[in-house]
Amino acid sequence: MTLAFQRNKIVEVEPLSNNTLAVSWRLVDSLTEAEIHLQVKIPDLEITVGKARIYRFPHQECPSAPGLIPKIIGVRVGPGLRKIVQDLLGGASGCPELAEGVLECANAVILHFTVPQIQENAKGSAEERRKKYQAMLKFNPRLVRSCVAFADDSPLMQELNL
Amino acid sequence: MVTFSRTMLVGGEFLEETTLRLHGILEDRIYAMEIQLDVRLPDGVITAIQGRMKRYTTPVCPRAVDVLQKAVGMSLREEGWISKMNRDIGRQGCQHFAEILIECGRCLASASLAQAMEEKLKAQPTASLETIARSWVEEHPEVQGSCLARPKGESTHAH
Repeated sequence: MTLAFQRNKIVEVEPLSNNTLAVSWRLVDSLTEAEIHLQVKIPDLEITVGKARIYRFPHQECPSAPGLIPKIIGVRVGPGLRKIVQDLLGGASGCPELAEGVLECANAVILHFTVPQIQENAKGSAEERRKKYQAMLKFNPRLVRSCVAFADDSPLMQELNL
Repeated sequence: MVTFSRTMLVGGEFLEETTLRLHGILEDRIYAMEIQLDVRLPDGVITAIQGRMKRYTTPVCPRAVDVLQKAVGMSLREEGWISKMNRDIGRQGCQHFAEILIECGRCLASASLAQAMEEKLKAQPTASLETIARSWVEEHPEVQGSCLARPKGESTHAH
């Protein structure tokens, strides 16, 4: 059977030369086409640039949504971001699609920093890999019990008292 | 050079008027996985789900595939559904599976609107998309108040 609806989202992170990450997000679906561009300063992860455009939309009010994005300038990617973004961009007078786009950009920034650790953890014997994951958990205790891999009954958590 | 990239793809097909099948695929530099779920309309209850992990980071990750079955019976329209997905599917299974599931849930209303637009345009090719969308909002109180374009209290009246 054919699709009645299709959605594509892509988000990309590119380091710039001035200790800044450029983050580009694009949504193309059957009803909407929009994009968000952010710049995030390293190391404090403050959003220094925030722009959005909408090209195709289902309601005549939608073109005013990109005007909300500059509200996030000055906000830092970190704990509490979800609530801040929802308060600034979401809700009945906001645009949940663009709010979610900003959060997906922030998530991509975090994963950009995660890539080298994941690459390192993949090297070595099974036991060496397990020890690397355990070292990562000790350094990032917020990951403990965050998913099945770091649940209490996971082999990765054996002999760890976190 | 791009150092991290993520693509999320969602497709929605109506198996029948009251069942929407959603396919969600996530591919990024670290993870690759997909989910298919059947959703009953109009209550948004998940009636079936299956998932596949293609690329992941630890040998324990595939355990999350079975955890997906906890989503059966959950509604994508009940208050707090996103927190529930993050807690029961994400924390107890895989956060990336939860991200796909939540994205699929967010497409529920859009899929319904897209189908309404296509059907209306087949019957009336010169109909205004804006008028069709406005009527759809009036007929679906569950989306009213969700954003600046869909205020609460839009009443249904004859067009």
